[in-house]
Amino acid sequence: MISLKKNNWFYKLYTWLPILFLYISVLNEFDLNYINIEYFSFNFPFLLIFYFAVKEYSRFDFLLVFIAGLINDTVVGLPLGISSLSYILVCIFASYLRNITIRPNLIKDWFYFLFIISLINSINYSVLFFFFSFELDIMFYAVNNFFTFLLYMPITYLFDKYLQAIND
Amino acid sequence: MASSRDDFIIAIRSAFLKKETKQKFSLLTLLFISILIIFLSNLNFKIINNLRSVINEVVYRSSFIVSVPENFAYNSYFKIIEYSNFYGEYKFNKKELDNLQSKDILNEIIISENKELKNLIEDFTLTTSKILAKVIVDHESPFLKTIIINKGSQDGLKIGTNVYDKNYLIGRVIETNFKSSRVLLLSDLNSSVPISITPGNIQAIVIGDGENSGEIKYIKDNLLEDIQDQSIGYTSGTGDLFKSGIPVGRLSVDNGRVNINFYTDFTQLKYVFAEIEKKEIDSDKIITQVDEGTSLEKSTEVIKLKLLNDQIKILNETNNRFIEENNNLVSETKNLNIENINLKQVIKKQTDEINQNKIDQKELEFLKLNFLYSSKCQKRGFKKGYKVGTPEYRKCILSRGKF
Repeated sequence: MISLKKNNWFYKLYTWLPILFLYISVLNEFDLNYINIEYFSFNFPFLLIFYFAVKEYSRFDFLLVFIAGLINDTVVGLPLGISSLSYILVCIFASYLRNITIRPNLIKDWFYFLFIISLINSINYSVLFFFFSFELDIMFYAVNNFFTFLLYMPITYLFDKYLQAIND
Repeated sequence: MASSRDDFIIAIRSAFLKKETKQKFSLLTLLFISILIIFLSNLNFKIINNLRSVINEVVYRSSFIVSVPENFAYNSYFKIIEYSNFYGEYKFNKKELDNLQSKDILNEIIISENKELKNLIEDFTLTTSKILAKVIVDHESPFLKTIIINKGSQDGLKIGTNVYDKNYLIGRVIETNFKSSRVLLLSDLNSSVPISITPGNIQAIVIGDGENSGEIKYIKDNLLEDIQDQSIGYTSGTGDLFKSGIPVGRLSVDNGRVNINFYTDFTQLKYVFAEIEKKEIDSDKIITQVDEGTSLEKSTEVIKLKLLNDQIKILNETNNRFIEENNNLVSETKNLNIENINLKQVIKKQTDEINQNKIDQKELEFLKLNFLYSSKCQKRGFKKGYKVGTPEYRKCILSRGKF
């Protein structure tokens, strides 16, 4: 296994990887949320934020998540604050889950995640449609929701490996 | 029951209000800030707009930098594909170029005809200048099919400015910052373009389908049948949103549904043209108030003067060359004249020599014949003849002794 010395600069960079990934995913033109494949897309920031908020990762500053949301809105062209609201709501629900859970269960987390992304996407859709008069494709939301839910398991596995490498 | 409710409340309070380790703000604070930002961004205050422009500038540039590796990989892939198809494309392009060149001539004729017609109806002509802009962010989003370009209000772009790829319309500016703008593409769900369909001159509106094509909507039902497959759609100019006569795409009819395939592939945009328009009014026909102090006009005048100076410079240079050439020609003419005179003299001399030679030959002939026929022609005693040296004698000798 990879062993990292804790005073090493590489280790420090490694601990900031989740935030780094979050920023790259919102700043990059190639967005996993809007892949140019018909009936396939998933919301990577939701998965990342939910996982690290549940795991109470020390480097995962909510203010940085909030700023990432603002950047995402600017890049995508959504009204400023919409993504920040979504990301902060994910953090709130994840924090609630962490506080309420005594014995963590992956399957329960998984379905809880489905519930919260459905709720947040519904809020998103409603705000954009009713308040900002955006013409939106509801099928996109359904497909995106479904694949985000499906990919929770493999991505959780990868993130677990990442945390394991840090803790070792 | 009561304890489970307490747990719930504690969990809620903890989730919302408790600041975790190393967290600077509680989630509730951030939630309120998000909602506040949504409301503020919807208000049209100058300070908010300026702040938003600054944020946009920073984020767009950052996004461009972050996307460099991805764009490099993407472009490399397309370059490899391009090289592998190079020869085929070359042949195709050559053929296409021939066709386009012939069409170009036709277009020039149509443009000049159009200008003449506009002058006839005493209309103003629009002088447009297209400025090249680089696409700095091309974000594939289902909500908004938009691109960010590196030209903004400082370059003269404003909301509604038409944007082109080559000569094809691709969209219009919906948001301007100082040095960047957001362009709403024609394929967006929120985009609607009034078009004319030819043949038939049918008026319709194209709505983007959120993918890479559009759909013909808002057309009279009885006209729907008149639309032919592969018809051409170009902007009608209705509503003054887009300039008229710009090619948009080719139509395809599929089970009563009419789609439009745009000429431009929106996923491959790298550089675009933004058209800045200014009205040029014919001063002889229409009296207008012209603001002479605008920097735009000043710069136009400066450009015109520069062009005229350049033209004068070129004319002077050409004139000097002509004078020099003329002098050379004059001296060359003189030389040729002298040569001509010399040659004439030589010819005269030669002609004289030839004439002398001819005379000598005639004299020689006479002497030869004289030797043979002098006895026949000479007068002796009672013999009939002529006196030697007379012209008759000479004639008799030349006619070989015949009288």
